[in-house]
Amino acid sequence: MSEEEKGGEGYVWKVQEETRRFAKDLLSENERLRSLVAGLQRENRDLEGAVSTVRAELDRRRREEDELKRQMAQIREENHSFSEKYLEVETHNSNLANLYVASYRLHATLDRREILSSIQEIIINLIGSEEFGIFELDPEEATLSLAGSMGIDTARYGRIPAGSGKIGETIRRGEIYLAEGKEGPSSTEETPLIACIPLKVEGRVTGVIAIFRLLQHKAGLEAVDREMFDLLATHAAMALYCAGLHTRMVAGVKGGV
Amino acid sequence: MAQRKKEDIVGRKKILLVDDAGTILMMEKMILAKGGYDLVTAKDGQEAVEKAEKERPDLILMDVMMPRMTGFEACVQLRQSETTRLTPIILVTTRGEEGNVEKGYQSGCTDYVTKPINGVELMSKVKTYLGE
Repeated sequence: MSEEEKGGEGYVWKVQEETRRFAKDLLSENERLRSLVAGLQRENRDLEGAVSTVRAELDRRRREEDELKRQMAQIREENHSFSEKYLEVETHNSNLANLYVASYRLHATLDRREILSSIQEIIINLIGSEEFGIFELDPEEATLSLAGSMGIDTARYGRIPAGSGKIGETIRRGEIYLAEGKEGPSSTEETPLIACIPLKVEGRVTGVIAIFRLLQHKAGLEAVDREMFDLLATHAAMALYCAGLHTRMVAGVKGGV
Repeated sequence: MAQRKKEDIVGRKKILLVDDAGTILMMEKMILAKGGYDLVTAKDGQEAVEKAEKERPDLILMDVMMPRMTGFEACVQLRQSETTRLTPIILVTTRGEEGNVEKGYQSGCTDYVTKPINGVELMSKVKTYLGE
């Protein structure tokens, strides 16, 4: 074998050796990459599992949020309902307090002047009128005499016949007269009358309270006003009657002495 | 227990109620009693000015039409005093007309309520001005 041939064989062997090494390296790299891919696939599976867990958790949280929103709406509705009820109860309490105060004030004294003053205060402050008259009936003369008033012509209403118009009707029927609206329609008394309350002792009419106008800012009569009228009809009359009896009794005692 | 009761009384807000009508004073007392306030009363503007100086109330609820001194006049005097110049004053008026309300504000009142008094409205205004 010539030197040239020997050199050629060595080159081929070298190339073959290089190729084998390269192939081995490739196989080794391939194995590494395969293992890496397998690892990544495992990781991917794990991540998918985690994502699915997170999704499930998210869904659960969303459901919880929806439920909380529903509960909040329900609580808001309940709060609204409670505040309405609270307002209703407070208004009712306030109305009851009005009736209690009126009743208490009417029966707190036997002094006729104080009773009349209390009736006026009740009409001004608890009903809301500054044009009214408190009349006492003289059944024999069939006249009404003005015992207390505010905002009306006392000369004109000082003594009036008891039988005419809405006031006369109230005395005859013994029932409260209420006009529709804020100002009553023109009656035979010529002055509009918004309400007329008969003062009754044991069913017998002893006088009337005539309300001619409500305060400007008061829209109209309310349920509590009607209750107050009922209270005045009996309690104001009874208070005035008791004051009269007391006065006569005191006068009798003094006369006797 | 007794100490706590004493502290409760000391911490209570004081309201001066001014009206010549016993009916309205009684009504206001009934409404405000629920708030646990210390209530002091006066029967006219003059007495209100004197009691306000002495009692130093946290709030004054005062009628407009009164003998001796009206609510408007009392309001002006109360605003001139160092003791009461910042005390909230709620006027109680029978007239809700603009002119009357304007006069009230000019005299130095903080707010007003109209008769017949609405308990819920009054309590709400009192709580507002007492910062509750």
